[in-house]
Parts: sequence; structure tokens; C-alpha cells
Amino acid sequence: MMRFPRSSALTLAVAYIGLGLAALALFAAPLWYAWRVTVRDGRYELLQSDAQRLTEVFRRDGEPALVRYMDARVNLQIAGERLLLLVDPSMHPLAGNLHAWPTEIPSQSGAYTLYMPLGGPPEEVVLVHQVLPGGYHLLVGRDIARYVPLEQRFWYALGGAVVILSVFGTVGGILIRRALMARIHGIRRTVSAIIQGDLSHRLVTYRRGDELNTLSRIINQMLDQIEQLVQGVRNVSNAIAHDLRTPLAELRSRLEGLALTRPDTEETFSEIDEAVADVDRVIGIFNALLRLAEIDSGMRRSGFVTVDLGELVANAVEFYQPAAEMRDSQLRFESDGPASIQGDPVLLAQALSNLIDNALKYTPPDGTITVAVRRNSDRSVEIEVADRGPGIPDAEKPKVVERFYRGDTSRGTPGVGLGLSLVDAVARLHASELRLEDNRPGLKARIVLNPGNILPSRAIRPITETDERYQHEPVYP
Amino acid sequence: MKVLLVEDNERVTQFVVKGLQEAGHTADHAGNGRDGMFLAASEPYDVIVMDRMLPGEIDGLAIVEALRKSGKRTPILILSALSEVDERIRGLRAGGDDYLTKPFAFGELLARLDALTRRAQGESAQTRLEVADLRVDLLTRKVTRGNRPITLQPREFKLLEYLMRHADQVVTRTMLLENVWDYHFDPQTNVVDVHISKLRQKIDADFERPLLRTVRNAGYSLTSHD
Repeated sequence: MMRFPRSSALTLAVAYIGLGLAALALFAAPLWYAWRVTVRDGRYELLQSDAQRLTEVFRRDGEPALVRYMDARVNLQIAGERLLLLVDPSMHPLAGNLHAWPTEIPSQSGAYTLYMPLGGPPEEVVLVHQVLPGGYHLLVGRDIARYVPLEQRFWYALGGAVVILSVFGTVGGILIRRALMARIHGIRRTVSAIIQGDLSHRLVTYRRGDELNTLSRIINQMLDQIEQLVQGVRNVSNAIAHDLRTPLAELRSRLEGLALTRPDTEETFSEIDEAVADVDRVIGIFNALLRLAEIDSGMRRSGFVTVDLGELVANAVEFYQPAAEMRDSQLRFESDGPASIQGDPVLLAQALSNLIDNALKYTPPDGTITVAVRRNSDRSVEIEVADRGPGIPDAEKPKVVERFYRGDTSRGTPGVGLGLSLVDAVARLHASELRLEDNRPGLKARIVLNPGNILPSRAIRPITETDERYQHEPVYP
Repeated sequence: MKVLLVEDNERVTQFVVKGLQEAGHTADHAGNGRDGMFLAASEPYDVIVMDRMLPGEIDGLAIVEALRKSGKRTPILILSALSEVDERIRGLRAGGDDYLTKPFAFGELLARLDALTRRAQGESAQTRLEVADLRVDLLTRKVTRGNRPITLQPREFKLLEYLMRHADQVVTRTMLLENVWDYHFDPQTNVVDVHISKLRQKIDADFERPLLRTVRNAGYSLTSHD
């Protein structure tokens, strides 16, 4: 069924027709006015010169000559073309084709328009009145009826234009509406499918891009992004489920084993300690995830302060120095001196600590790890942690920052695969990114930070007491 | 010491009260904000453990703020499941002296309470710290054990100073990270243990009586007692 709801296309078409008509009226009105003025003025001029000529005859040759002249004119004239009348001082007609002096004409010279019967219904007539010497009066006039058909044609043409405009406008409007509705229906169908849960649908786009096409393309890009995010969330949920299930399974079997075997006190206590350690692992994963979420929300930017990266990195290197010594690894520190940026010192320290920790984990004994802070010529500051471990294959590099991703080389090492995710999240919070490069051999992790990194991307939301999370009591473990 | 616990979760309350009693302390308990406010204002306590989200109109932070406004200087440890850094800062700004996130280990709570009461007793302008025959001069930054001088790196000195200020108490790894290195996160590997063992090498290795001891499931303690 074809419904006619309030369609924007139809409204637009009607508005355009209205606008067209208004334009036509605006165009016709001055034209009409000019026509009227030109015709009337031209007519007056003609009548005036005619009256002039007759006056000349009267002046030169006197009344009888004018009477003769006018009689000749009347006899020659095609009926109705000229109205002529000469009266003597007592207003008695002497010559001409009018039978009596029209009472509406005043006694002085001038041009007048009036209605008078000319052997039928009254018609519009233009008259020029000339007072002649000796009290004679001359009237030269003409009826306008001759021009009526011309004016009628003008009105017919104008009416025709209005009809054509309305018809074309309506048909055009309907066609445009139909084309537009077809595309909007297409968009609606696609969006409905997406709402049903199938994110793989995309809007139809064409190579020749109009505005709707551009819009479709942008919506498609948005859908791509959403699909990617949903996929990411799904992956993370799966990973969380998997990574939490492992320690929870261990915990469960440990406790169940205790209940079943009822070992002696000593062994029971040691099992309980192990169980607590299992729980701590789960809590650790949760804490890491919460922190990642906190960083991703961008809220931490409200706490940015001036941080001296040189000092921060030096402290971190000093902190890890004994751990490196214990592994017989060398931890070297290179610095260009103080380098201040705007940032979160706690997060930067944690990110750096994760990088050094990773480097220590993967560098074989006797290996060298270099931690460097460099000031570049463009005032940006670079942190670099380079190790001599197995490195990361190029294909895996984009994946290692994903949550819970653990590469083949990291199998058998402690950790849950959130370390580099956190480093990347911290870098992104500081308007940067984690770059992983080949150290030949080994891995070179770099973060380039801008000194005044202004962060326009995410709005910082102030914390208020009315925040949602204060409305709920959290579930305690 | 006498502890007031303001906490509405029964399991947590039971766990903490029992633990405190076993450690030889007395503990009062309030299950909502109103009772907590009343007890905290009227009874003398050495330290208060305050949950943030409490049933009733008054929440933990409001109590802390009210106590501080009325001039009470009792040390307060805020206990909360809100773990974000901003939340910590809010807790400390409201007048809390320490902030512990749930879930927590009891050892961590106890060690922090010990540290808080010690701090309240006054870290007077001490210039010399002594545990048995280990002496630290804070002005000259000289460390001696017996008659033998011990050379320490600046960070090792800071670590030892913190341990000596909390002598005979248990200090946890987290407390050391926060107070010695100012690291408010958990570095995954046992880096603190390595620092401790290095320090132990310097102050204990050549002596008969070890002073720096590892406390299982909790942390470390610098003590002359057995």
C-alpha cells in the first residue's frame, strides 16, 4: 500500500512549486506594469500629436477648414479607430464622430480616461481635450478595446506557465520522492537487519557519490568500527573467561581435594596458602583489567602533571638493577638529561616497569638491556627499551598489545598477557602509541611523547557525587 | 591497640575482628554510618578502619570529613572496593591517612594499622635510629653495625630507614613499594625481594644474629626480638 506520510521529499517539492510560482509572479508583475505604462503613454503621445495637428489646421485656416478636414478624416477613418469632436463655444457639435460633448470632461485642456458608451456597453476610452482660440473645444480620443486581446494573450501565457510549472513540479517531486524513498527504504532494511544483531550488513554505496552516498559510506565506516569493537569485546570476554577459568579450576580442585582427602594439619595449611595464591592471581587479573578500563576511559587525564621522564626512567632502571644483576643481565641506562612532559607519573612508571620486566624476562642470561630517554630535535621525548631476547615476529606485533594475547615465545613464562596492553593503553592516553621494532636480535619498544601533549580526543568527565557508581553497593568478594 | 571497624559486610567484619583479636588487639565494630560516627566521636581509639560505602545516610568519607572538622586526629585507614586512583585521592583528601583496596590480605591491613599507630605516636625529630647493634644516623647518613661501618646506596638507605622506623612491625611489599619507591602499582616480578636480599647481604650477612626477617605471607620485619 502506498502511504502518503509527511514526506520530506514531497514537502520539498511543494515548497519548490510555491517558490517557482512566486518567482513567476515577481517576474510578471514589473513586465505587466511596464507594458501598461508604455502602451498608455504611447497612446497619449499619439493623441496629443493628432490634437496638435488639428489645432494647427484651426489656427492657420480657421474653423471651416478644420470642420472640413475633420469630416474628411471621419469619412476616411475606419470606425472606432479615432474619436473626434469639435464644438463651438456653446458646446454645439460642429464636426467629428461623437454626437455630444461628454459631460465628464472638464473645461480645461488635458488628457482623460473614462468609460463611455460607443453604441454598446460603456468602454474604456482615452481622450485628449484641447481648448482652441475663440472658445472652441477639440476632443481627440481612442478606445482601448483594441489592446484587450493582446493583454488577454499575456494572461493566457502566464496561466500556461503556472500550469506547466505546477505539473512539472508535482511530477518531479513525486519522482524525486520515489527515488529518495527507495534509497531510504534500503537503508532502513539494512539498519533493521543490524538491529536484529547481524553486524555484517552494509549500506549500498555507489561510485558516483552524492550526499546520501557519502552519508552511507560514513555509516558503513562507523559500522566497521562498531563490528571491530564488538569483535574485540567478544575476544576479550572469551579471553577473560579462559584466563580466569584456569586459576579458578585449580582453586576448585585444590579445595575439593582438601575436602576429600582431609590431610593432616601441616599439609592443609600449605594447601590453603596455595589456594590464597590462586585467588590472588584472579584478583591480579581483575586489577589489571580494571586499570586498563580506567586508562581507556581517559579519566586519568584530569590528573596530568609535569613529569620529568629522565628522572622517572632513571628511578625505574635503578629499581630493576638488582633483579637484572641476579640474572647476570646488564641493565644499561642512557639519558639526555631532564625531559619534561605532561603526563600521569604513576601510569608512566607502571608502563615502563612492564617494558623492563618483559625485557628481563625474555633476555637470556648475560644479555644486555638498554633503557634510554632521548630528546628529539622536534622537542618530543622518546623512551626506548631494547633487549636481546627472541623478539616478536612481525606478524605477531599488532597482536601482542591485544588483551590476553600471549605469543608462542611467551609460553612457559609467567604473566597473563596484559602487560603490553597496558603499555599501549598508557601510551595512547598520552596521545602516543607503543611501537615495537626489531632490535636484530631482540625487541625494541619505543614510546614517543610530545612535551605539551594536548589531548583533544576524549572529553574528561568530572567526577561528581551523583555518579552512577555511588548508587550501587559493589559486590564484595 | 584499640581499633574501631566501621564496615557493613558481615564476612569482612568477622574476618578482620577475629584477626585483630588474634594479634592481641581489641576491636569495636559498627555496621552502619550512624553508629560508626557515634563511636568514633565518643570513644578513644588508636586507629579507625572505615569502609566507604555504608548503609544509611552517612557514608565513610562523610564520617572522616566530620571527624577531621571536629578536630579528631585519630588515624583513619579507608577500606574500599573503589580502586581507581581518583578515588584514592578523594579518600586521602577527605582526611584518611591510608587507603586499602578490597579485596585485601589481612597481613597487609595489620601492617598498615601498625604503621599508622606508630606514626600517630609521633615520628619525633629523631636523628638516630637503632635496632640492636644496627645504628643509622639520619644527619650524616652513616650506617654502622657493631663497630663496622656499612656502605649503602641512597635507595638502600631509604629502604633501611623505612624498615628501622617500623622496627618490630611487619611491613608488606606494597608498603615498601609505596613508601620507598613511590610506586603505586604492583610490578609483576619479585623485585622488592631482590632489594631486600641485597640489603640483607650488607647488614646481616657477616653477623651472627639476623635482624631483617621474612614474614611468611606478609612481608618483612626488622627486629631484634626472636
